[in-house]
Amino acid sequence: MKKNKSLLLSAPYILWMLLFTLIPLGVMGYYAFTDPDTGRFTFSNMTDLSAYLPTLGISAWYSLLSAVICLILGYPVAYFIAHRKPVTQKILYMLVMLPMCMSFLLRTLAWVGLLETNGILNNLLGLLGIGPVEMIGTPGAVILGMVYNYLPYMILPLYAIIVKIDGRLIEAAEDLGCNSRQVFTRVVFPLSMPGIISGLTMVFVPAVSTFYISQKLGGAETMLIGDVIEKQFKTSHNPNLGAALSLLLMLLVLGCTNMMSRFGGDEDGEGGVVV
Amino acid sequence: MKKTSRVLTILMFVFLYIPMLVLIVASFNTGKDLTHIEGFTFSQYKELFKDEDLLTLLGNSLLISLLSTAIATAFGTFAAVGIHNMRPKMRKLVMNLTNIPMTNPDIVTGISLSLLFVFVGTSMLHQRESLNFWTLLVAHITFSLPYVILNVMPKLRQMDPALQDAAMDLGCTPLQSFFKVTIHEIMPGIISGAIMAFTMSLDDFVISYFVTGSGFSTLPVEIYSYTKKPMSPKIYAMFTLLFLLIFALMITMNILQIRGEKRKDQKRKTVDSHGKKVFRRVCAAVCSVAVLGTAGLLIFGTRSGKVTLNVMNWGQNIADGTDETLDIIEEFERRHPNIRVNYTTYDSNESLYAKLSGGGLSVDVIIPSDYMIARLIQEDMLQKLDFSNIPNYEYVQQTFKNTDYDPLNEYSVPYTWGTVGIIYNEKFVDPEDVTGWELLWNEKYKGKILMFDNSRDAFGIAQYMLGYDVNTEDPQELADCAKLLKEQNPLVRQYVMDQIYAAMEGENAWIAPYYAGDCMMMMDANPNLAFYLPKNQGFNLFIDAMCVPTCAKNKTEAELFINFLCDPEISGANMDYICYGSPIEGARDYMEEYLAESDVIYPSDEVLKNGTSYSYLPAEVSRSMDEQFMAVRLVGGSTEGGSSTVILIGIIVLLVAFAALPFLPKRKKKK
Repeated sequence: MKKNKSLLLSAPYILWMLLFTLIPLGVMGYYAFTDPDTGRFTFSNMTDLSAYLPTLGISAWYSLLSAVICLILGYPVAYFIAHRKPVTQKILYMLVMLPMCMSFLLRTLAWVGLLETNGILNNLLGLLGIGPVEMIGTPGAVILGMVYNYLPYMILPLYAIIVKIDGRLIEAAEDLGCNSRQVFTRVVFPLSMPGIISGLTMVFVPAVSTFYISQKLGGAETMLIGDVIEKQFKTSHNPNLGAALSLLLMLLVLGCTNMMSRFGGDEDGEGGVVV
Repeated sequence: MKKTSRVLTILMFVFLYIPMLVLIVASFNTGKDLTHIEGFTFSQYKELFKDEDLLTLLGNSLLISLLSTAIATAFGTFAAVGIHNMRPKMRKLVMNLTNIPMTNPDIVTGISLSLLFVFVGTSMLHQRESLNFWTLLVAHITFSLPYVILNVMPKLRQMDPALQDAAMDLGCTPLQSFFKVTIHEIMPGIISGAIMAFTMSLDDFVISYFVTGSGFSTLPVEIYSYTKKPMSPKIYAMFTLLFLLIFALMITMNILQIRGEKRKDQKRKTVDSHGKKVFRRVCAAVCSVAVLGTAGLLIFGTRSGKVTLNVMNWGQNIADGTDETLDIIEEFERRHPNIRVNYTTYDSNESLYAKLSGGGLSVDVIIPSDYMIARLIQEDMLQKLDFSNIPNYEYVQQTFKNTDYDPLNEYSVPYTWGTVGIIYNEKFVDPEDVTGWELLWNEKYKGKILMFDNSRDAFGIAQYMLGYDVNTEDPQELADCAKLLKEQNPLVRQYVMDQIYAAMEGENAWIAPYYAGDCMMMMDANPNLAFYLPKNQGFNLFIDAMCVPTCAKNKTEAELFINFLCDPEISGANMDYICYGSPIEGARDYMEEYLAESDVIYPSDEVLKNGTSYSYLPAEVSRSMDEQFMAVRLVGGSTEGGSSTVILIGIIVLLVAFAALPFLPKRKKKK
């Protein structure tokens, strides 16, 4: 009887999620396989996708790169935070979280002001006698934007895992003759694997689908898959092709996250959201 | 090692906080943009509190996130309890469902929801406005729910099941045991879930962007359209205030938490009463949220006692009261106190078309250009106007009547006319190079050239370059144009519409094709800029006209608004700001003299005869143009299929295989 009641408690939720997550994806699939003019079933949207493969590749490459950069930058920081006094930890944690709560549109716009040809950084460089460096419009600027925006998504799960690592394990490793490098490579790093995986996923997923960052910081040659999709809906008006592209993007993300969570041995299926 | 990680941490914080510092500094800056610091002022804050629209948007955002958080928290907590008590297999399945919005990119969630709403609302229920407040709320609840569930579930798992049994043994009904025992145990999870849901919802841009219609919008969505236009610095003031608010909130939360923990350590016995207190507080908070929400809704409702007229116009295309011009909309609302104008912008004819045909929104007045009007008429998307409501139509000059796009004068009333030319910076561009459209292909200015971000205008320039007819439907000619544009791509800094203002005025780019009136505005802001009309090769001569789309709800009020804008005095005052030619007889007399005499705004007839206007192109031609223009900008871009189709299929199969991994039966792990 208890089981029935519990089902009753969650039934509305399940219904809601079916209605507003699965069915919309179904509708998206429907659009992806229909012709924009006649409304008949067609594969042409799917075959058209081949032209966008290089773009998809570039997007995946940039976001992978920024996820790895985030890991390299974020790991020492997370490690440092996790080894402070509890009160300091709380404050630092809050300081990492704070930027996430502020408008990411405006924060990205601030980078435009910093990186522009006549922007703040170039003005400072100019004082040192270094001529204006073209930064806006380069792939580097786009990757910088991704790293900047999603770095907290890397630090927070890493911190959550590192702080839970039992200090006694490290002591044991030291007692058994590990030097500090070995302690790190053999104990701390493997134990923080779930955090690394969820951090990589949490950076990769929003980065690969972004359109705002590449619109603002990118140039004429850095169109990403997110831009293409956004354009299909907001300017070109070809929702059918847009739906097909979204489907492809979704598959890419699902494939990558599954591969990563396999690789990290994260079997709980809940590692993706430890914040 | 320790030292380096300390240094790295400090550097990381600098990296995270510098952009925010830039914005905060900008909010006190008297200069116009982020980069030029001129002086200190508080005036942006004063401006901010005078700006009703911005405050309404902030209110909208708060309303949506409070309501969605309250609903998602209550709903999610119960669901979590239910899921917790499920059989493992079932639980796994439901958790997979919960994870969908978490692992899906936001853009996919947003698009799929908007497609659903439009599909059901417009195609099945034949609603005019299927994207509205309620759909936005549903979307926010949907992406907030998983945060609540995923925060509550671990707390349920940590809870001792004996506690609940004990309560029931002592005579509690299951419901009582839930409210008296379980909820206290899982309270931290509920609170952190609610906080996460709230912050996510408040700052959500991507999902809202796709499910927002015309009537109800949130702050991030509007900030997005602000960041496309020249930004008013009051946004930075708002950012600063929000920053302080969130900073204060976080600090108080931390202090409370640290104190709570200390208290817990001191007297473990009082945990229960403490929990109760927290519970009561949360209940009170949730209730007040609900009350506030309904109050907000009521205000929302009463406000609609006024008729809301949704006007959609180009960015920077109406006088807004800055620089001592007349605030046209304020003036209209003053004359018609029962009408409230909800003014939004689009940045190209194509994006307007996408908004309208995407369905789901209701707009009363739009101001597209000639060729787009023809397309909208062709596709039955405009209503015939009732000219008895527009007596000022008599002021419209004869040349603007019986046009190609609206030969019988049924659907449109002209608003402005103008030309497309080249704006360039005299400081950097050699006058000898300014010979025609080929300036935009000049290698010397690589990385300093901007280009139109819409297919028709971009192709138009290529057509003038190649000497083709601008209304050609010949696939070969269009392909030639695409090739020419592709050659230009490496030289182009960015493809822009309204963003052109910041780039040209800040001298980050030197050369760009754009609409004459907007160029005039930029020239006012930066005297180094000049305008050139390639009259030998030909140029686009366009008319923007006011129309009422079929999705309009307030046609009479829309006609009132159109009539108002045809008043010569109003039209003249409007042109003073937007710097276009007025099609209204007598309006020129009301314009400032230097503008009325300017040959950028009113070129001589001799020049004008070289201009051509765009006309209607069949849907498949415009789509092919769109696709080819997209391909110009893609890496390795050609939209021609071929051998890559095989690669595509391979990749899709591979991805499907990986995506299906978790659903395959697993080998049991050996313990």
